[in-house]
Amino acid sequence: MLDDILSVRKSEFHSGSHTELRGQLNRSRKVTLLSGSVVANARSDISGVSARVYKNGTYGFSSMAEYSPEAAAKVLHAAAENADFMDLHAGAGKGPLPALPRKTYRVQNGINDPAQKVYIDFAKALDAYVAEHCPELVSRVVVAMEDSMEKLLVTSDGMDAHTILPRSYCYVVMTAQTGDGQPVELFKSFGGEGTFDLNFTDPAVWYPQIDSLYENIMKKREGVYADAGLKTVILGGMMTGMLSHEAVGHTVEADLVLSGSVAGHNLNKQVASPLVTLTDFANTAFGKRCPLPVYVDDEGTKAQDVTLIKDGILTGYMNSRESALHFGMEPRGNARAWLFSDEPLIRMRNTSVHPGTDKLEDMIASIDDGYYLIDSGNGQADTTGEFMFGVTMGYEIKNGKLGKALLDTTISGVAFDMLKTVDMVGDTVVWASSGFCGKKQPMPVGMGGPALRCKVMIGGR
Amino acid sequence: MDNLESLAEYIMVEARAQGADYVHCVVRESEKREFNVDGGRFSLMRTLFNRDVSITVLKGSRKGSVHINRFDEGSVYDAISECIAASESAEPDPAWQFCDEPTEQIYVQGAPVCDTEKLFFRTKELLEDIRERHPKILIEQMITSHDVYRSVYMNSNCVMYHPTAGAYNFSLMYSGHEGEKSTSFFGSDVTLANLDKPVIECALIDRELGEIEKQLDPEPLEGKFTGTVLLAPAALSEIVLDAVFGDFVSDSSLIDGTSIWKDKLGEKVADDRLTISLKAMDDDVVIGSRVTGEGYPAESFDLIRNGRLVSFDLSQYGANKTGQKRAGCSTGNVFITAGEQSTDEIIKGIGRGVLVMRFSGGTPAPSGEFSGVAKNAFLIEDGKITGALTETMISGCVPDMLNSIRAISSDVLKDGSVSLPYIAFDGVTISGK
Repeated sequence: MLDDILSVRKSEFHSGSHTELRGQLNRSRKVTLLSGSVVANARSDISGVSARVYKNGTYGFSSMAEYSPEAAAKVLHAAAENADFMDLHAGAGKGPLPALPRKTYRVQNGINDPAQKVYIDFAKALDAYVAEHCPELVSRVVVAMEDSMEKLLVTSDGMDAHTILPRSYCYVVMTAQTGDGQPVELFKSFGGEGTFDLNFTDPAVWYPQIDSLYENIMKKREGVYADAGLKTVILGGMMTGMLSHEAVGHTVEADLVLSGSVAGHNLNKQVASPLVTLTDFANTAFGKRCPLPVYVDDEGTKAQDVTLIKDGILTGYMNSRESALHFGMEPRGNARAWLFSDEPLIRMRNTSVHPGTDKLEDMIASIDDGYYLIDSGNGQADTTGEFMFGVTMGYEIKNGKLGKALLDTTISGVAFDMLKTVDMVGDTVVWASSGFCGKKQPMPVGMGGPALRCKVMIGGR
Repeated sequence: MDNLESLAEYIMVEARAQGADYVHCVVRESEKREFNVDGGRFSLMRTLFNRDVSITVLKGSRKGSVHINRFDEGSVYDAISECIAASESAEPDPAWQFCDEPTEQIYVQGAPVCDTEKLFFRTKELLEDIRERHPKILIEQMITSHDVYRSVYMNSNCVMYHPTAGAYNFSLMYSGHEGEKSTSFFGSDVTLANLDKPVIECALIDRELGEIEKQLDPEPLEGKFTGTVLLAPAALSEIVLDAVFGDFVSDSSLIDGTSIWKDKLGEKVADDRLTISLKAMDDDVVIGSRVTGEGYPAESFDLIRNGRLVSFDLSQYGANKTGQKRAGCSTGNVFITAGEQSTDEIIKGIGRGVLVMRFSGGTPAPSGEFSGVAKNAFLIEDGKITGALTETMISGCVPDMLNSIRAISSDVLKDGSVSLPYIAFDGVTISGK
C-alpha cells in the first residue's frame, strides 16, 4: 500500500486556493493466448504524485513519476505556478469554490498481487477447454487480465481518502466461418471487482459461459443480415447499459452540458417515456454493491447517487465541484482521474436504467417483426444525443418468436427521441464493467439496465 | 540512477545475470506542457514530468515484459526479476526474434525545446481566430501541448538508439451552435515542428470548421438507396484503414489465419489508382520512427501499390509465424497517394450520394463488412451538396469498396503524421428513416 507521505504537506498548500495532492499506483497484468500461443505476457506498475490548485476559475496542475516527499513538494510548487499563470493570463475572476466539510475515508487493507504464472495457468486452462470443446472454430483468443487503482488523496477542504479499486477479467474471443468462408467473431468477458486470484479460482466455473458463447457463434455463422431501417426491437440488458452510458450519460456530464450538449436546454423536461428512470450510482444499486463502487472522488467529494432521469423527466447532471457551483447543484463525487498524471474529469460511476415489471419472454412475444439485440462490441454518442452501438449478437423476431441469428450490425438513434418510444421495461438488471470509458483519459465504469422495447434505426442491407 | 544510458546498461547486465538469453529495454524521460480549453474558455495548465522503463526478456525462447515508471535501482531490479519470472511461466516460442546487427544512432527530431509563452499565444490566437471566422462554432474542448522525450533503446545484441524528439500538438473538438440548434461534434488535430504560423492555417482546420458551421439544419434521409459515399480523411481512416490494418494485413489476423487477404500477396485487391504506404520518416512527418519494436532499422514501404497488395504489415514475430516477410516499419504514418481531381470536382460527378466527414460505427467485421452512422454528413444530388444530414446510416464491405473507387482527391490532409485524401466509393448502402 502507498505510505502516507502527503498529509504532512498540507502546510505547504497555496493559501487562498483549493489544493489537491494525490499519490497513486496503477497496476496492470495481462496475458494473451492467440490460438494457444502466448503473444502477450506483461506486467505494469505506474506510480507518482500530482497536485492541482484552483484559483479564480482556472486550475494549475503538475505531476511527477516519483512518489517521494521531494516530488510532492515539486508538484505543489509547479501546480501553484501554473495556477498563477492561468489567473494572470486567462483569469476567469470567479473567486473560490464553496468549501466542503472535512472528513476522512480510508481502506484498511492492501490487495493481493498474484504472480504472472497464476494468469498464464488460468488462461491456458480456459484455452485448453475451448480447443477441446469448440471444434468448429478457426481461431481463438483468451485473455487474463487485472487492473487496479490505489489513490491517496489529501485536500485543502473536503475528504482526505485512501482508496483501492481492483478489477479482473478473462476474455474469450471466438472466430468461426460462414458457409461461404467469411469470418465471424464473438467475444465474452467474465469477472468483475476484485483481484484475479479471488475472482478466478476454478476454470470449470466458467465453462458453461464458454459453452454458451460457442453455441451463439455457431448460430451466428448461419446468421443473416439485418434489414436496414427503423425497427421495433428489444434491447437486452447489456445494450441498455450501453445506452445508459453512451447516449444519455455523456450528454448529462456537466462539462459537456457547458460545451453545448442537448441536455443543456432539456433540464426538467420530458426526455423519455414515463417508464424510464436512470441513475448514476456511486456504490450501491438496487440493494447490492455496484460493480465498481466509488466512495470518494478525486476532488475530495463524498460519492453519492445522481438521479439523471426520473419517470421520464431529466432531473440532474453529474458535476465536479466547479461545474456544481456554475449550475447551483451539489457535487456528488463524479470527478475522477485515471493515472497519477491525470487531472480529475467528470466521469460516470455505475449508470443504469431502473428495472420495470415486464418479463423478457412477454416482450419478445409482443413483436411481430423486429429484432432482439443482446450484445454490443462498442458504442459512441454525440453531444446531440445521437448514438451508435455495434451489435455483435442478436436475433430476428418473427411473429413473437426468435428467428435466425444476426451477423454484425449497428443501431443508431437520438437518445431523447428514442427513449420516448420505450413502452416495455424488463424486470431484471444486467451489469457490465470490463470496459473503459474514453474521455481524454480512460476510466473503468459500470453500466447496466433491464431489457427495453423501443424503436431504433438498424443498419444492414 | 538518473542517466538513461547507465540505467539501460544496468538492465542489460542485470537481466543477463538473472538468466535472460536476450534482453531489450526502452528507458525514457518526457515532459509535457499543456493548456486546456473547455466550453470555449481556458480551464487548466498542466506540467508533467514522466519516466518510463520497458523491459523485455527471452529465456529459453520464453518471453516476458514489464513496464514501470521508476528509475531507482531497487525498483528496476525488482522489475527485472518480475520480467524473468513472467518469462519462465510462458510457453517457449521460437518465433520471437530481435535485431542482431550492432548499430548505434543518436538523433534529434521535431521541436525538442518548448516555447511556453508562444504556445499560449498561438492557443489564444486560435480561439480568437475561430470566434472571428466561425462565430457559430463552440470549442467543446481544445488541448494544446508541447511534448518532448529523450529515450534510449538498447538490446543485448548491441543495438542502440538515442532519440530526442519534441512537437507541438493541437487537438480541437467542436460543434456548431445557434440558439437551441447544434451540430454533431467534430475533431481536428495537427502536430507541428514549429509555431511559425497561425494554427488555423494548418492541416484542414479552417476548412473543417467551415464545414461544421454548415450543418446546423440537418434533415433525416428518407428511405434507402445504393449510391456513392465520399469519405473525408477522418471517415476514410475509421472505415477503410481500420479494416485493412485491423483485419487484413497485421500480425493477429495473419497468424490465426482469419485474414481474408492471407493468400492475396502480389494480387490485385483494389482499384489501380490506390497506393497506400507506411512512412518511417518523411518531410510531412514531424516525429518519424528509425527503429521497430524489435530493434530493426525502420524503413518506409508500400502496402498496396497501384491496387496490388505488395506487403503485409508484419512484425518479425508475425513473419516467423506465417512464413512471410517482415514489414519495414509499423507506424501510424499512413500515406495514400493523392488523385487528380479536387473534392469539388469529384462532387460534381456524383449523381446521388453522401459526403461523410466522420463515421460512428461498429468495429468492422473480419470480413470487412461494416455499418454505422454517417456523422457530419451532407447529401449530394446531381453533382451538388443539397443539405446536411442526420440519422443516416451507411453500410458496405471494405474489400468490395476498394475495387469500386470512383475518384481520389488531389487535396489531402497533412496533419504531421498522415497524408490522406478524400476518396469516393460507389455501391454503398445509404439508409434513412
